[in-house]
Amino acid sequence: MENSAELKKQILDEVAICRRCRMCVNMCPTYDKWFTESSMGRLTAINLHFKYGLGDTKELSDLLYACTSCRRCQQRCKMVSVGVSPADIIVKARQLLVQETQEQER
Amino acid sequence: MKKTLKHLIPAGHIYMRDNVLAKDNLAGANEDKSAWANQLNLPHKAEYTFFAGCGYQFMKYTETMLEAARGMESVGIKLDKVMGLNRALKKVGLNLADAAAKIMTDPKEDHYTKVLHSAVSVLQKLGVDLGYLHQDEPCCGSPMYYAGFKEDYLKNAARNFGIFRSFGVKKIIGLIPACTAALKYAYPALVKDYDLKVWHFFEIVAAKLKEADLKPMLSEKTVITYHDPCQLARYLNIVDEPREIIGRIANLELVEPLPEKSREWTTCCGGGGLEASNQKLAERLGSNRADELLATGASIIVTSCPACLKQLRQSLKKKNPQVKVMDLIELIDQALLNAPEQSPKR
Repeated sequence: MENSAELKKQILDEVAICRRCRMCVNMCPTYDKWFTESSMGRLTAINLHFKYGLGDTKELSDLLYACTSCRRCQQRCKMVSVGVSPADIIVKARQLLVQETQEQER
Repeated sequence: MKKTLKHLIPAGHIYMRDNVLAKDNLAGANEDKSAWANQLNLPHKAEYTFFAGCGYQFMKYTETMLEAARGMESVGIKLDKVMGLNRALKKVGLNLADAAAKIMTDPKEDHYTKVLHSAVSVLQKLGVDLGYLHQDEPCCGSPMYYAGFKEDYLKNAARNFGIFRSFGVKKIIGLIPACTAALKYAYPALVKDYDLKVWHFFEIVAAKLKEADLKPMLSEKTVITYHDPCQLARYLNIVDEPREIIGRIANLELVEPLPEKSREWTTCCGGGGLEASNQKLAERLGSNRADELLATGASIIVTSCPACLKQLRQSLKKKNPQVKVMDLIELIDQALLNAPEQSPKR
């Protein structure tokens, strides 16, 4: 299994493919008014946190675990954009949170 | 401040991981998972192995527990605390899942066991040589993956493949979309030498009905709408098969939700894990989805996923308790009872 540094690189590389076209935003069933309630909002938060060290980790965790992994976002991305998999990246980011925390605890 | 797992990961997710690791099932119940199959005489070994999954086998407990958790939330105790409490109680030997199972004795409230019975009955009527691993059936562990516990998930997946191999399993028929997607697509990428062939129930049933040209029939005219479970539509790409099956059944009329809300665009009902971490959001999603399905005017909402069944039933209780929620598998079983005798093949 990949270590957290490898996983982080994998995640950031995938996020970097996203063209920020926002086609997926409205597709997210959790999206109501806040950008952070959407698939692309979550990817942005992932990037800000893991690339630039911004934002509180607990806040990021709340955003990530509010995703239902329903993949409606990536269905849209696949058909009209670059084919990023936000739902799958979000699960990987949860995995990174878990791994980083476990490594700290060890 | 150093953050620990407990601060960062919702307690509901940690609770499910603990359950899978300690009890080999999602709910953490001690009960024999195969009790539903006691009267069915399914052999361990056969051409196809039936994979029942935690959802249908244990949802009755999870449902009762979540109901209790909701009750505590309404008096101001946060879900995370309830889930944490649940874990603490276990450490001193109290198992809420077992307690819930004892409270819940009314078989009418158990909407899940009968789906398993129907599924086995359908496959047997269609001539599938069917086995089942009984208490040896492992939990696929996918909730651990979605919660971020990949290391645990990998270990569990490798162990499971060993179990399947030790029983000579080659072909699996899965029922629950999440388990089936895990066994069909996630495991091959992660487990060394994984070579099991996996189908979802609908793939087998659609193919068999077509092959035998069977025309099942319901005894009275029934109008339904169909809710595509996310994992079935977008992880397994199974959207045509259930419609083919429905199309074959006489006296059964399907009214689809809006095209942008069905098939591969189906919207999540909020079941399947979210209610263990974010009750309010799960309720909002359930309510939205219920509205979309109710707009079809159908009096029965049909789907095929234990989490969707639970969540939609829950959402409809408040909106329109007259509308029934049921599993497509049950309808197929009922309709097959009335299939006109097959003309002998020449």
